[in-house]
Amino acid sequence: MSGVTGNDLSALTATRRRLAAAVALVFVLAVVPFVTTDYVTEIVFTGLVFAMLGISWNLLAGYAGQVSLGHAAFFGIGAFVTAWLTTPGRAGFPEAIQLPMIATLPIAALAAGVVALVVGPVIFRLSGHYFAIGTLALATIIQLLLLDQRGISGGSTGYYIQSALDADLIYLIGLVSTVGMLIVASRVVNSRIGLGMRAVDGDEDAASTLGVHPLRYKLWAFGISSAMAGLAGALWAQFTLYVNPESTLGVVWMIDTLVVVILGGMGTMLGPLLGAALFLTLDTGLRSVAGEFATTVEGALIILFILFAPAGVYGLLESRTGGDDDPAASEESPEPTGQAK
Amino acid sequence: MVEVELVAQTLINGLLLGGIYAVAALGLSLVFGIMDIVNLAHGHMLMIGGYVAILLFSALGVTPLIGMFVAMAVLFVFGMALQRFVLDRIVDEGIEQPIIVLFGLALVLQSLGRLVLGSDAQSSEIGIPGAAIEVGPILFSFPRTVTFVFALGLILGTWVLLQYTATGRAIRATAQNRDAARYMGIDTDRIYVLTLGIGTALAGAAGALLSMLFPITPFVGWSYLLKAFAVVVLGGVGSIPGTLVGGLALGVTENISGLYLGGGFRDIISFSIFLIVLLIRPHGLFGSGGGGE
Repeated sequence: MSGVTGNDLSALTATRRRLAAAVALVFVLAVVPFVTTDYVTEIVFTGLVFAMLGISWNLLAGYAGQVSLGHAAFFGIGAFVTAWLTTPGRAGFPEAIQLPMIATLPIAALAAGVVALVVGPVIFRLSGHYFAIGTLALATIIQLLLLDQRGISGGSTGYYIQSALDADLIYLIGLVSTVGMLIVASRVVNSRIGLGMRAVDGDEDAASTLGVHPLRYKLWAFGISSAMAGLAGALWAQFTLYVNPESTLGVVWMIDTLVVVILGGMGTMLGPLLGAALFLTLDTGLRSVAGEFATTVEGALIILFILFAPAGVYGLLESRTGGDDDPAASEESPEPTGQAK
Repeated sequence: MVEVELVAQTLINGLLLGGIYAVAALGLSLVFGIMDIVNLAHGHMLMIGGYVAILLFSALGVTPLIGMFVAMAVLFVFGMALQRFVLDRIVDEGIEQPIIVLFGLALVLQSLGRLVLGSDAQSSEIGIPGAAIEVGPILFSFPRTVTFVFALGLILGTWVLLQYTATGRAIRATAQNRDAARYMGIDTDRIYVLTLGIGTALAGAAGALLSMLFPITPFVGWSYLLKAFAVVVLGGVGSIPGTLVGGLALGVTENISGLYLGGGFRDIISFSIFLIVLLIRPHGLFGSGGGGE
């Protein structure tokens, strides 16, 4: 972890205190399934999935500036790939392709990433609003196609996954994946690729003039981001042991992703983590207080945050603690979230 | 021969439905062409318009043809308030902000719709007597024909408003060059407020008309958003005749592909065509490229 100083994670790693806090947080999260109830474990796992979705979408939208509304499709692709490979019989696939659950996870991530790289060169002919609505259409088409092919997707009744594995194990893999994605995302953002991505976000034409090939960096962001979403989807499928084109590929995952990133802070490394924690607390808390109105409140929160706190909770915290006793905090500059345009 | 008649009937049904799609798309197209904002909540506003008509019909027995004007009024005010109090604050900040805010608004409308009105599909009826018109073997269903005529009226009305009134001229001037329009003494902020009002009112009208033909649920928003945007892309941003042709084309394509490939493929085909056209001809099949990229 010490190799990533001087970047967005620096706030986390620059001091031993912060590193210790991060280790303690991971440890606390790791013991959740063993010291709490299944109910709490499921809630925290949902939070991890939100964090993974947030980290991955943030890479594409927050750093590379490509606001995709089709993230749910890659989440769903990952979920279905792992479902097909662990329980091929249900979809009428030969049993010979059956693989152990652990082996299906990287394949699911890879599948989502490959789909992104295949459609990427085409869909990136679009930009801005056209890209947003084009990706929404793409995700809807994928969902409708799977819904129509009940043979392989289970249609609206869904698809049950057979697994002998313990949910606690999936939870731990989810935790490791979340930490891994955070590290990968921060490495990518601070690499040459990340520099190119941010250049494309800042001013695509200027970047292009300076020899940055925009499509290459957009594809990097899209591929990595989609693979991460695919892994999150696969883990979700294995945890719940159920996939359904209506819910697993539903636009609701896109909405949750947006809420997580906007609440936390778009274009910041820790934003999605804060957003996921906040969203989970809000969602669980709101359901007991506001009941059915929770979703309405979440939608309203997106709007209010964009209007009044566009840098998210991370931005609020940073402006409050800025110039504090920790020099690392002020050293760290917030990433542009696109207002620069 | 039965096959030919069936195809002809499907074609006519598609054309009649396409008129309503054109109305929905016109609202989206105006806002996109003039303000350079894709109203991602457009489909959900259409849904609200549909419910206004349904509630008026089921509670008071008012025909949706009149309910349509109420729906338009409600959404006109809603759209103006949205621009005045929300979008106006973020419109110059980049494209992410309006996309996300309108996506959030769609979420709010959908979940509120589900809570207040329930998840069950509801529809209205035309509520006035009338018979289908038979032309040879083809049947022009009464509600479909009447809604089509109303749709044409709305499109014509919008055209007249833009072409021949002072406000319309101001809107077109603002669309061409916002700064220049402001120097000429046009209150462009007010024009934006009006434009979003008109755009959302057209969504409301389309929803009211559709409620007579198809059931409305709180979840239809995304689908109608994509359909309306498909028409905008087919017809070209900001082109009224293009939008009408695009709407008719979408209605026909959808119904014909539904006939040959099954109902499940209706939306798949129309969204795929949309995506393909978007990719090859981003300025539309007929468009002049109004508010293009």
